Amino acid sequence: MTALTRDAQFASEALPRLEDVARFARSLTRDESDADDLVQETYLRAYRSWSSYEPGTDCRRWLFTICRNVFLRSREREQRVVARENPELETLAAVAVAVAADRSGYGDLFTTVDLAPAIHRALADLPEPFRHAVELVDVNDLTYDAAAEVLGVPIGTIRSRLFRGRRLMQESLMDHARDAGLTTAGGDGLLGEQR
Amino acid sequence: MPPMLDCEAVMRQLWDFLDEELTPARMGAIREHLSLCEPCQSHTDFERAFLTALSEARSSEPIPSALKDRVMEALRREGFVDVS
Repeated sequence: MTALTRDAQFASEALPRLEDVARFARSLTRDESDADDLVQETYLRAYRSWSSYEPGTDCRRWLFTICRNVFLRSREREQRVVARENPELETLAAVAVAVAADRSGYGDLFTTVDLAPAIHRALADLPEPFRHAVELVDVNDLTYDAAAEVLGVPIGTIRSRLFRGRRLMQESLMDHARDAGLTTAGGDGLLGEQR
Repeated sequence: MPPMLDCEAVMRQLWDFLDEELTPARMGAIREHLSLCEPCQSHTDFERAFLTALSEARSSEPIPSALKDRVMEALRREGFVDVS
């Protein structure tokens, strides 16, 4: 492959993913300046190792993996997993949230109220392992398998982190709904910020 | 024909179902249960609405052009030639 061909491939496959990588970097670092450094380093490493990328495969997944690895190296240690390794129990816990929501009149909360600002806050407040899993699967639409590869963990760990992250977000959003008076207990009411 | 799933079995796999991470046979069995079980369908609708709201809340904030310029400059120093 000539250098020009390589650069043309890089320009057509890697560069269009810059915004995705930048958002992922921000979710990792939670700091704009650190995120920009991370994006630059990710692209430099991607360019240097472009020969290891198989054209036509999932370039975003490949870039996210590099980004995550650079991030981990910059911190010199990986955060230990704190999730319970029981995804099905986490799923049942989320169903319990759904039951409680329905009983207290919030059953339609996610379809009738614009919760975008609250969702952004709830996501930002998630502890790191859960936030990364939710960002990759729910925000960036990666499969469990792809997210596991990006984060370098087993797929069961992704499921545990993802399901716990979702449940924590739902609990946070329910608290927000109550605090903001978006609905009344018993379901009579009010729904202030209707879509 | 395999026995129909009970509610707990369905709810234990609800996230996997909504993420379409189960086998086709399991997906079909859960769909069948949901078509006949109003409470489970209601919980499923709630969780699906949550996932939709979360997906729609994806930040559309554009990345500053300064970052793009910075990355491109770093790549050029590395030898990258933008032929596009």
